[in-house]
Amino acid sequence: MWIRKYDFNYGRRKLMENVAYGMGAGALMPLNKVFAAQGELSKAYPDELMSIDAYTKGKIKTGDTISADNVEIVKDLLDPCVYEQVKTMGRKFRIKKTCTDWTAMFPGEFYEATLRSVKSPAKFDADGNVVTQDGKTWGGGLPFPDPKTGDEVQANLCLSWGRGDYNQYAVNDTVLNPDGSIGYSYDLVWVELQAQARMDGKPFKGRTDLLRFQTVAFTASQDVAGSSFLSTWYYDQRKYPELYGYLPQFKRVRQFPTNQRFEPLIPGVTWFLSDPWAAGDPMRTWGEYKIIARKPMLGAFNTTMSLDKPNWVCGTHGGPKGTHFWDADFELAPEVVILESKPTGYPRAPVGRRLAYIDVRNNMYCGNIRFDRQDKPWVNFETGFGQYKQGGKTVFGADGKTPAWSWVYVMSYDMQTHRMSRARHLEQCAGGHKSVFKADNEEMYNKWFTQQAIQRLGQV
Amino acid sequence: MRQLSKFAAGLLLTPALAIAQEGGGFLDELLGDMDLRVNGFVRAESAYSTTQAKNRNNQEGNPFNQIEANRTAYLPPALALGAGKWGNLALGLNTTQLPIIGPVAQQLGLDGVLFSDQIQRSEFGFKSSVDPVNYMILRGESEAQLSINSHWNIIGRIRAIYQPDVIDGFDAHSVEAFQGGITGGEPALYQSRNPNYFAYRVEGSHHPNPLEISGRNYLVYFPALVLDYSSGPVNVRFGNQSIAWGQSIFFRVFDVPNGLDYRRHLILDRGLEEFSDKRQPQLSLRMTYQATDEILADAFIAKFQPTVYPNPGTPYNVIPVQFTVHDRYHQFGYDDKLNYGIRLKADYGQWGWQAMAAYRYNPDGTFRWTRSGVNKPLSGALGSLVNTVYNAKLPNCGSGYTPTLCRLYDNIGEALAETPFDAAPGGVYSADEWFNYAADVRLNGLTGLNAAIDPFPASRDVFATDVDLPTEFGGTVSQTESRRQADAELNTFFIAAGGSLRGHIERVYHREKVFGLGVSYVNESDNDFLNQLIFNLEAQYTPDRNYTNTGLENRFIRQNEYTISLVVDKWHRLFADFPGTYMVFQALTKNRSDLVGRHLNGYGSEQDHVSTGLGHNANYIVFGFLQPFPNKIWAVEMASLLDPQGGILVQPVLQWNPGKGVTIEAFYNYVNGHLWGKPTNNLVSTLDFADEVTVRLAYQF
Repeated sequence: MWIRKYDFNYGRRKLMENVAYGMGAGALMPLNKVFAAQGELSKAYPDELMSIDAYTKGKIKTGDTISADNVEIVKDLLDPCVYEQVKTMGRKFRIKKTCTDWTAMFPGEFYEATLRSVKSPAKFDADGNVVTQDGKTWGGGLPFPDPKTGDEVQANLCLSWGRGDYNQYAVNDTVLNPDGSIGYSYDLVWVELQAQARMDGKPFKGRTDLLRFQTVAFTASQDVAGSSFLSTWYYDQRKYPELYGYLPQFKRVRQFPTNQRFEPLIPGVTWFLSDPWAAGDPMRTWGEYKIIARKPMLGAFNTTMSLDKPNWVCGTHGGPKGTHFWDADFELAPEVVILESKPTGYPRAPVGRRLAYIDVRNNMYCGNIRFDRQDKPWVNFETGFGQYKQGGKTVFGADGKTPAWSWVYVMSYDMQTHRMSRARHLEQCAGGHKSVFKADNEEMYNKWFTQQAIQRLGQV
Repeated sequence: MRQLSKFAAGLLLTPALAIAQEGGGFLDELLGDMDLRVNGFVRAESAYSTTQAKNRNNQEGNPFNQIEANRTAYLPPALALGAGKWGNLALGLNTTQLPIIGPVAQQLGLDGVLFSDQIQRSEFGFKSSVDPVNYMILRGESEAQLSINSHWNIIGRIRAIYQPDVIDGFDAHSVEAFQGGITGGEPALYQSRNPNYFAYRVEGSHHPNPLEISGRNYLVYFPALVLDYSSGPVNVRFGNQSIAWGQSIFFRVFDVPNGLDYRRHLILDRGLEEFSDKRQPQLSLRMTYQATDEILADAFIAKFQPTVYPNPGTPYNVIPVQFTVHDRYHQFGYDDKLNYGIRLKADYGQWGWQAMAAYRYNPDGTFRWTRSGVNKPLSGALGSLVNTVYNAKLPNCGSGYTPTLCRLYDNIGEALAETPFDAAPGGVYSADEWFNYAADVRLNGLTGLNAAIDPFPASRDVFATDVDLPTEFGGTVSQTESRRQADAELNTFFIAAGGSLRGHIERVYHREKVFGLGVSYVNESDNDFLNQLIFNLEAQYTPDRNYTNTGLENRFIRQNEYTISLVVDKWHRLFADFPGTYMVFQALTKNRSDLVGRHLNGYGSEQDHVSTGLGHNANYIVFGFLQPFPNKIWAVEMASLLDPQGGILVQPVLQWNPGKGVTIEAFYNYVNGHLWGKPTNNLVSTLDFADEVTVRLAYQF
């Protein structure tokens, strides 16, 4: 008779213990060590945390589709919003094999940088900002490859959103009414340039006071086309970004107050500036970061990017008109941190708290649920991330050698109004703007991140 | 060329292309492989008056259509042989003011005896309108961008507007039976059967804006049509464009590069839209250079295009139609002039600053009396008498000329053509109307009368002479006496004209140097309300700025002017269940002119009293907010403009964006220029007629 070293529930029990003891990721051994050695994920987790087949004892198999018919079997593995969508709104997802390839979970350069940071992770200075062990601003990669506290998990999310020095996303955001009809359809370009936490470890243009530049420029529909906003983020996460906007009605760049982060930028959408990356606001303007659970979960972790589809747009299904949800692959992540945080720096915020569901393998979120002041679930800013490689097609990342890795889709679902903002990372959006992962940073700075740039991008 | 032609097709045929796009393939086939971005919208806009008030600058809004005015003619001093002053020797008797006889005479229809009468404009064919529609247009706009490569783009925006004939406007032909009808001025503007809503005409040119096609009912132009070049920190745009500078909304402290186009809805559109569709585009070369991360340099060279005022008779006309305007933009060669300007803007964290200098022609221009050019004799009994007396004068007196005995011209028609007046209907009919309107448009009715005589020998030739001015205007008599003389002279000429005299003024432009400095500060505070308050202080200084003389004199007022504005922006969450409220507070002070450029010396007059002016700065306060509802599908806005001298404009707005490309907006303009003090001491009373509801229905493609 073969005697198992660990019983079936050992993995989950160990993860709960890790929470209680403030330990890092990993059930069988610290995940950090496996990662540093670029070792097999199975050294850190038992089979039942890495295989849906094992976890459900064969009731669900890799490749199966989860629907209302079988969702109860995996209810404990889903965030409550996704569970309700599957149970009541016709949502489905296919389960793919759990990814064990470390390099597929990061952009290539970011992976290398994170490997380096394992040897010398970051720390927080007296102001709560991330610094190196010798007190300098962070150089690049995950600052806390083995996060043990909520603050460290959040710092991993906020320091480099797109995990590259420069990222340019062509986006369509379609807003669906509760009856499934399309209410609004917007195209926009979201562009990020890291001033610090860069892959080369050097501040861009010597700006040690800044963290990043970020511009969003709307290109459709007509009523918002030509609106653009430039946010300049300070490295000091206690400070609000500077915000300059070009609005067609003003025909010029004006400075705008930036402390209101909980407002829809454009009509119909359900997301706020606060939502993207589960870190849309400077880290220290939120607080009370707390890991409330570590558990295996199903989610769009390492999901499939539909490079084979025109403009990278995949199919939809579910909802009243069969168009509510992106077709997406989920996988079983062996360990997901559920991170609670509160908008402590925004006394009048309509948000009471936020729960982010973060895969410890790459410290990236998938579910991101905010609750209102009455603690009712409000909006889930679900984001699927994955490598830009499918079949024989590959989109290369910043190094030009390894596949790009980025967000694939967003489904921002308002559980109270049943309105859905369904965004897709496109190859190209209205206005001819393409998604870009590799570009000359200086050139892009001039193109996107100066007041002159957003003036030029604006409606004439 | 192939791509350019496709760009033009994209811009002009956008609606058709949008439809075709839905149908598939056609668009792709037409546009080939070029990178073309096209979008646009169509919008129906209409405004309805909520009161009976009409614009008094138009014939149908003139209160003297119903108000009776007494007129008596007097013997001109030039013919009085020692009688001295206007008003000393009456040529008629006004019976209405006589005791006992007056009422009886009135019942018999005898308001006056000989050259004296009691009239109202309705007797001359003018009626007041009660049409509630102030504004009704259909607007289409589309923007296209052709990206040639990463450096070069062509960007175009076209705007087309159509105004159907649904507004009960003035028909110039309806008064043909009086005084030979309206004859002077640009026929398309002053002699048409319906108001000419959009045609832009100046003396000698029907196309003062080369990239505009406009007619009575339609307006098509390019707010932007530029070739755009970008390389590194440099951006250059050449073509038709408008440029907006500064942080102030609505207050044009730094916003000096372009004039405004007041056709359509004047300044009564949504306040928070500012002048988005009103800056008059001009052919320009604009260069911006991001000198450092913090400093932006922005410079332009532009073909000067003036501000375009609403045409006479159109609902929001700002120049009383008793005037005929001769715009000298083309005749005097201003259309060949260039404007220049540069602005430096820098931002350092919480602090920012900007500086600006422009060498430009002031787009507002100035006005003064000018010869009418209308050769038409006087009419009516007194007019015929004057014509005869004039013809009896001796011609060719040479150095022995005296207006009493000699004439400069062959006949009085020729003489009148050289004065600022022509005898035609639709002008001023009485001294009361003259002074009432002078006060209303912030002019001086007394000095204005002399200014129409002094520089014009022909005026003296037809027996006009100066009136004595009151001491406050440099004269020697009381205002009562001055006014007595002016009334007598004006009424004499109105009677002699056979009804009314139309005044002719010319619009000219002046070069000026404009300087600006600004500073901004973002406040950070633990107090949530005080946190992220953005302060912007902007100041403009213009030495030797020219203003319309309040007497429409040949010599303009030339003074140094400063304009200072303070803007405070705030975004604050007031309600837990609603998104944050965007609020803006602004204050403005100007030491010489009002918000629209009228000199403050013309303020404060009334029909019965001519004032020396406001005596202090013009000040304005603006407060506005935008409150979106959850998901921003609904939003309410409010904008207000307070003139502390007793006027207020309040504009609540409701917006609904139900999706599917449809947007509906409704806003109400509450205008009250009579809150306290004299209405002519505040700016807002000029718009007192404009209490109205505006509705817009837009569909975007």
